[in-house]
Amino acid sequence: MSGSNIERSRPQSPNIQIYRPQLTSVLSIANRITGVVSSIAAIGLVAWLVAAATGPNAYAAVQSVLASTFGQIVLFGATFAFFLHFCGGIRHVAWDAGYGFELRAIYASGWAVVAVSVVLTVATWIVALFMAG
Amino acid sequence: MIIRSSDQIPRVTLMKRFPLPTNFGVSSESRIKLGKKWSAPAGAKRVKTFEIYRYDPDSGRNPYIDTFEVDLDDCGPMVLDALIWIKNRVDATLTFRRSCREGVCGSCAMNIDGTNWLACTRFISDTGMPASIYPLANMRIVKDLVPDLTHVFAQYEMIEPWLHFKTPEPEKERRQSAEERSQLDGYYECILCFCCTSGCPSHWWNGDRFLGPAALLQAWRWLADSRDEATGERLDNLEDPFRLYRCHTILNCTRTCPKGLNPGRAIAEIKKKVIERRS
Repeated sequence: MSGSNIERSRPQSPNIQIYRPQLTSVLSIANRITGVVSSIAAIGLVAWLVAAATGPNAYAAVQSVLASTFGQIVLFGATFAFFLHFCGGIRHVAWDAGYGFELRAIYASGWAVVAVSVVLTVATWIVALFMAG
Repeated sequence: MIIRSSDQIPRVTLMKRFPLPTNFGVSSESRIKLGKKWSAPAGAKRVKTFEIYRYDPDSGRNPYIDTFEVDLDDCGPMVLDALIWIKNRVDATLTFRRSCREGVCGSCAMNIDGTNWLACTRFISDTGMPASIYPLANMRIVKDLVPDLTHVFAQYEMIEPWLHFKTPEPEKERRQSAEERSQLDGYYECILCFCCTSGCPSHWWNGDRFLGPAALLQAWRWLADSRDEATGERLDNLEDPFRLYRCHTILNCTRTCPKGLNPGRAIAEIKKKVIERRS
C-alpha cells in the first residue's frame, strides 16, 4: 500500500517555521526565557550568599568569578533579563485585570517594557559601578 | 513601531521568519520540497513573483513550493485576484477556497507573507517580493491552500454557540435593550475564518485541548448575551487548565484578526468572569 493516498495522512501546514515574528509573540517568548534566566540567576544569588556565609576564602573565589569579564557579562545579562521579566509581568497583571487590550495599547506597552528594561538595567549598572564603589 | 489596527503592514521588518530551519521539527510527510517555476507570459511589463504552497493528495508527493510570475497589468489589485489569475491563466489545478471576495465570508483565509489574513482584503502592493502564500498555519491540508477545518469547528461546537433557556418561552420574542445588545459589539462580527486560532502559538502546541481564540471569542459572545441563561454551565465547561487557561495572552490573535476584533480581550473577560463568580 505504500504511496497510496488513502494510507497517507494529511500534511500539517507549517506554523512557527513561516509565521512572522511580531512584537506580541517575540515579547511573549522573551518573557518566558527571561523567567528561566532569572530563576537560574536566583540560584547564583544563593550561591553568592552561601559563599559569603561560609568564609572569606569561598567568598573571594566567587567574587573573582563575578569580577571577571565573563562574570560581568553574565551579570549584566541577568540584570536585563530580570528587568524585562519584571516589566513584562506588570504588563501581564494589567491584562489579567482587563486593561490594555487595544492593539495600540498592546504595542505601546510592549515597546515601553523594552525601553524601561534597558533604562533600568543601565541605571542599575551606573549605580553599581560608579556610585556604590 | 506602534501598530494601531490589525490591517496595518509593518514598515520595518527585522525578521521575516524566526531563525529556525525550514523543516524544523516537521514530520516526514509534512516536509516542504521545492516545486517548479511558472514564468510570466511574454511581454508582461509589471511582473510580481508569488511563492505558493502546493500539495496534491493524489500524487503521493510531499508538499512543495511553486513559484508563479503574475502579470500585474492583467490582474486585479488583491492577492485573491492574483490567485484567480494563476488558476485561470497558468495552472488550473491551484486549489483554494473563496466566495464573497469582500472580507465577509472568511473562506480565503490564508498565511500571506507570514501572517494570517483574507486574500480578498490584502493588496498585492502590500506584500513582499516575492510574496509567500501558505495555507492557514498549523492545519491538516486537504489540497494546496485548503485546510481541513474539522477540528477547529468541532472546538467551536464545544462552546455550544446557541442561546440556552431555562425560563418558559415568552409569547413573543425575547427582548433585549439597545444597551444589552451593544454588549455583543466586537464579538458577533466574527466570521469564523480561524486566522486567529491558526496564528496562536499556544494553539500550535496544545491545539488538541486548548480551544483557541476563535472558539473562546465565540464563547464570550454567548456569555455576554443578556438573553442567555446558561452562564454557569458555560463557565463550568470552560474552567479547565487547557480549554481556557492555555491562553497566555500572547495576543497574536488580536494582531491578526482581519475583522479588527479582539479575541484577547474576550478571553480576558471570560477569565475575569470565572474569578468573579468565586467571590
